Amino acid sequence: MSKLRLNGVSKAYGATLALRRGDLDVAAGEVHVLMGSNGSGKSTLCKVIAGSVRPDGGQILINDKPVTISGPQAARVAGIGIFYQELSLASHRSVEENICLSALPVKAGFFIDRRALKARAARYIALFAEVAGEGFHAEALVGNLRADQRQLVEIMKALASEAPILIFDEPTSALDRAQVDRFFEILRGLKAQGRGVIFISHRMDEITAIGDRVTIIRDGETIETLKLSDTDPATVIRLMVGGASDMPAARSSAPAVVETRAKAAISVRNLTGKGFRDVSFEVARGEILGLGGLHGQGQSALLRAIFGTSAVTSGEVTIGGERYNAKSPRDAIRRGCAYVSGDRGRDGVISGRPIIENVTPIHYLRDRLMIARPSSLKNKAMPALAAMHTKFASLFHPINSLSGGNQQKVIIARWLIDRPDVLLLDDPTKGIDLSAKADLFALIRQLAADGLGILLYSSEDAELLGNANRILVFNGGSVTRELTGDDRTRYNLYQAAYEAA
Amino acid sequence: MTAVTTFFKQPLVVALILIVALLYLGQSLSPGFASADQILRLLIVASLLGIVAAGQNVVILGGREGIDLSVGGIVSLSAIIAGNVMNGADGGILPAVLACLAAGAFFGFLNGLGVTLLRIPPLVMTLGMLGVLQGLLVVIRQGIPSGRAAPGLSAFVTQPFALGIPGIIWLWIAIGLLMAFMLNRTVFGHRIYAIGSNEHAAYMTGVPVRLMRVGLFMISGMFAAIAGLCLLGYSGSSFANVGEQYMLSSIIAVVFGGTSLAGGKGGYTGTMAGALLLVILQGILTTVNIDESGRQMVFGATLLLLMLFYGRGRAMRA
Repeated sequence: MSKLRLNGVSKAYGATLALRRGDLDVAAGEVHVLMGSNGSGKSTLCKVIAGSVRPDGGQILINDKPVTISGPQAARVAGIGIFYQELSLASHRSVEENICLSALPVKAGFFIDRRALKARAARYIALFAEVAGEGFHAEALVGNLRADQRQLVEIMKALASEAPILIFDEPTSALDRAQVDRFFEILRGLKAQGRGVIFISHRMDEITAIGDRVTIIRDGETIETLKLSDTDPATVIRLMVGGASDMPAARSSAPAVVETRAKAAISVRNLTGKGFRDVSFEVARGEILGLGGLHGQGQSALLRAIFGTSAVTSGEVTIGGERYNAKSPRDAIRRGCAYVSGDRGRDGVISGRPIIENVTPIHYLRDRLMIARPSSLKNKAMPALAAMHTKFASLFHPINSLSGGNQQKVIIARWLIDRPDVLLLDDPTKGIDLSAKADLFALIRQLAADGLGILLYSSEDAELLGNANRILVFNGGSVTRELTGDDRTRYNLYQAAYEAA
Repeated sequence: MTAVTTFFKQPLVVALILIVALLYLGQSLSPGFASADQILRLLIVASLLGIVAAGQNVVILGGREGIDLSVGGIVSLSAIIAGNVMNGADGGILPAVLACLAAGAFFGFLNGLGVTLLRIPPLVMTLGMLGVLQGLLVVIRQGIPSGRAAPGLSAFVTQPFALGIPGIIWLWIAIGLLMAFMLNRTVFGHRIYAIGSNEHAAYMTGVPVRLMRVGLFMISGMFAAIAGLCLLGYSGSSFANVGEQYMLSSIIAVVFGGTSLAGGKGGYTGTMAGALLLVILQGILTTVNIDESGRQMVFGATLLLLMLFYGRGRAMRA
């Protein structure tokens, strides 16, 4: 009998079709793995099941009966419990309160029954008693816990829903080995009780350890459902990548080897910091080094640490042969580093201010300017904006009047007035249109040809394969593989990203 | 939107129209309200407020809920320091100016440290500082007799200086020009707007955000100190809490002038018009025999009304 079945579910956000045809069939007593790359539609599918997104079409059946899930509350009533990847905990409340948050025990219709709450929470806390680590107890404030402990609370919260259908969206990303093992034992227990579990993970070893069947989603469509015992990781990855998996990247793009013009632009040795460890590489002047792998495996953390926004605990960086240790972006900029973030709203755009003030801040710093003369600044800003093919009516219009892609061009243009030596690109094309992307990469290649050392992290594999001379694949905070020459294929990139850390 | 409606929606234009309307109202309530002498007197009072509001303005522009509630305390303290240092002698003016500026900068510096290093919200930090200053005033006044203004200072504030206009009004005009230049044509000014509209992005372009913020509170303290000194010249001798009224009115002047309380948006020209407007309003209320407590109520209600109209709405739409 199938516990949960989705038939041809679709969802569009504006003009983007996030989910074209989502099919899923979860049987009672199985752990069903959902796989797909970033943006394939698997999180939209989960949101549809959890009721946080209303589908445009298709059918949802629970225990073979068609249902409409109108919201998160309705999903809970229908027997669906979810573990959220983005932690949904109340950090100022205790562990036990968080565990029972979605259904607080009530007495006399109004007061919280503290004794019942404690008893209920204690059951779930006991499950992880041996592996939760120091400082973890029922009354501890969630905000004071370590990342792995918070993730355990999130798991307990999902378990406490006692729902017949449970969704776990990357529940193990912060857990250590022992915690994962304990969690899997619990999952096996749930299977034995006949519940249906949907499990999303990017670690192939975990998937084969706990999964019964796997459904693969690509470009918003369910491609296939396989029994994990009948298949092997290579087949799964091939299905995720699709037809063009073995096509080498070199055909479109960057040469595999850069004629090394003597010196390295930046070299990093055994660098360790928050979110990454023991990373070493060297980028030659004129080289584009790609950072690949799944989202959040340490690529952004590394780039930000080099730029001085977070601390480095050990290892060393040299730029142009000199020891470099930036304490702040201010330091990093003065030493010739540039950083472009994909999160323009947070890291880049000075909103409400004129375009010109958004182009000039780096120039102010590097030229140690005191007076801002519009005429001379205009002469500096215009060529930089022109190099990016930025479209704007006047330098004195607010930056908010531009489209997202043009805003990002302005942000990049600010680094072009005084050229840096090293350019750090942290998923720079997130949320911008195709033509802006093309302009951007044309410029990036031009900058490399001019002798800059460039580090490029992108969540789109095509951008890495098409532009990077070499690719370092990150997994769990460290570099697990280096792809050069003809090895730079989509298949290899996926395989390295998904193998056990 | 047509050019005409855009024109009339600018806070500065609204404020100027209101100024003319209020002057007309005042004149009709009490003939002589809008006479040249009276207007000059209103301008002197507005200068005092305008100078305090200049500091308030930069702190608010710097964003992150920036506000300086301690300005009133600094005005009072500065008036007392100045009175005691100069004690009626012209030779004491320069030392008094320096002492006041140092005191203003010092308390501004403490505000800045509290907000940046200790991460205390500006509202709480500067309110606490106001309490400290008020206590300090009581302590000081118990021992030492409060001094008198030097004749030179009083003349500067109340007597014609050039073209028949008192020195303090010239000073205010100079501060207006200086502020306009600083905000529009200096890197420091651009950075104030940058940290006010997106602090993190400013940090990522190498703006020393914390240092800037401490600097803004110091500027605010120093402007309040200058105003306190001039206030002593205006009233002749200092008395307790002369500066108290400036806390609320300096904020209203800034908001009236079109500066968003969310930071990053606005300027000083509007604030000048706002200060003038408030002083005229105050004059009218006095003319119709509404006492100090009634005036405070009107001021408070004015601020709430302003927030309703544009302060808050803008911050949310931005």
